Amino acid sequence: MCRLSGSLLIFALLGASYTLGAEASPVAELPAGPTQEKATAACASCHEARIIVQQRLSKAAWTKEMDKMIKWGAEVDPKDRDALIDYFSSNFGPDQAAYEAPRTTAKALTKRPTAKH
Amino acid sequence: MRWTKVSSRREFLKSASAGAMAALAVPSFLNAAGQTAISVPGKEGLIVRSYRFLDLETPVEFLTDWITPVQHFFVRNHMFAPAAVEGKEWKLAIGGQVEKPLSLTLADLQSVPVHSVTNTLECAGNGRSLQSPKVPGVQWGKGAVGNARFSGPSLKALLEKAGVKDTARHVVFRGLDVVPGKVPPFVRSIPIEKAMDGDTLVATQMNGAVLTPHHGYPARVIAPGWAGAASCKWLTEITVQDKPADGNFMIPGYRMPNQPVKPGETVKPEDTHSVTGLTVKSLIAGPRDGAKLKPGAQVVRGVAWAGEAEIQRVDISTDGGASWNPAKLGKDQAKYAWRLWSYPWKPAHSGDYAILSRATDSQGRVQPESAVWNPSGYFYNACDQVKVYVQA
Repeated sequence: MCRLSGSLLIFALLGASYTLGAEASPVAELPAGPTQEKATAACASCHEARIIVQQRLSKAAWTKEMDKMIKWGAEVDPKDRDALIDYFSSNFGPDQAAYEAPRTTAKALTKRPTAKH
Repeated sequence: MRWTKVSSRREFLKSASAGAMAALAVPSFLNAAGQTAISVPGKEGLIVRSYRFLDLETPVEFLTDWITPVQHFFVRNHMFAPAAVEGKEWKLAIGGQVEKPLSLTLADLQSVPVHSVTNTLECAGNGRSLQSPKVPGVQWGKGAVGNARFSGPSLKALLEKAGVKDTARHVVFRGLDVVPGKVPPFVRSIPIEKAMDGDTLVATQMNGAVLTPHHGYPARVIAPGWAGAASCKWLTEITVQDKPADGNFMIPGYRMPNQPVKPGETVKPEDTHSVTGLTVKSLIAGPRDGAKLKPGAQVVRGVAWAGEAEIQRVDISTDGGASWNPAKLGKDQAKYAWRLWSYPWKPAHSGDYAILSRATDSQGRVQPESAVWNPSGYFYNACDQVKVYVQA
């Protein structure tokens, strides 16, 4: 009660465009590019793209990651391997700005019942 | 009212609310990428490092309580969390080098005397994103750490029920995590000495309540003072054996170089050892990095921990490390638990300040100016630093 009204007060004062209950898709996406679809198919069955887009790695490190993931079951056509490594290292190289992670909602902002666990 | 001298509108608004309201760091819901917040029931205002599988980090400004509330406690999963585990159907197998293999129910666990340990749990990779050059892995900031009271039977009591053979040297844990693709399962072991320590738990409770699914319901290991990876969640199988577990998460995973290596260098597995106890470390919970402060009295505050050792002192510098003064340690303390600390500060003039914290422990370990780089980004523990601006 106190917390809910407090949060509403904050929103009123900030004039935020945030609407109660609005949520981003919880799962991140890979950036557009010729290999976006293939990269998504290879990676997203085991983990979302967010774990990729937060990395800032050299091409050598991306090559190592790619080969580890292929060993761990990522379905990559051998003829696509190099293009995928290029795609990851050009989008998520050491010089890119840091990834800005979202946050989880606070309880007072969701209309969902609190999970009992 | 901890933030009354903080002048930004956001901080002012926070200061106008009490306690858990501080969790509602409103602008974070609309970050630079324009993303709105993600709903994870039971987890409030945490940083989403990964949603699927779930990895959540606690913003450092939440770390102002000795006991971290469950809704603010970080989450580290290597795999997918199991679908709802039914406590009534759950079983814990104990086998391997034991006299009498056991299959225990939750009721069996509840018939064993309860032991409680207040433990600071930290992911080995906490602070990985602060390493340079960057290394692959979850890019944790500073907050993959929390302090909670865990309760349940000691692992020792359960192993004694099964009767550990003389050949026993290591104890392997397997959880109910759902393993995708051909990914190796998250199976790790701890040496028998740590397993039989008496403070190592098969915990069924966290902060006085039943473990939540995010934290391993119905039972998890707590290997106090050790990197979180030793504390297997959704525990379902304990195997006593004469050698360590040998899967990916033991070798090459969760290992540190035996000798310091140059940043960027690769290390052969035979020149590494498995991570065990946490190192000495402190964090500044407030003021926040980048804060604009009104002139006048301030309080710098935070937490400090040292794994199996004890925090002896925390020193604070408000001049970028040129001079240091001791912080006051909080009264709450327990073996394996962090200490709160605070440091009253009155800036002499307006301008930019770099505030640093440096912890020292009972083993004589001192938080270094810069952390030792390693290829997996473990145990980052450089002196913490925030930069603030004091207004005229």
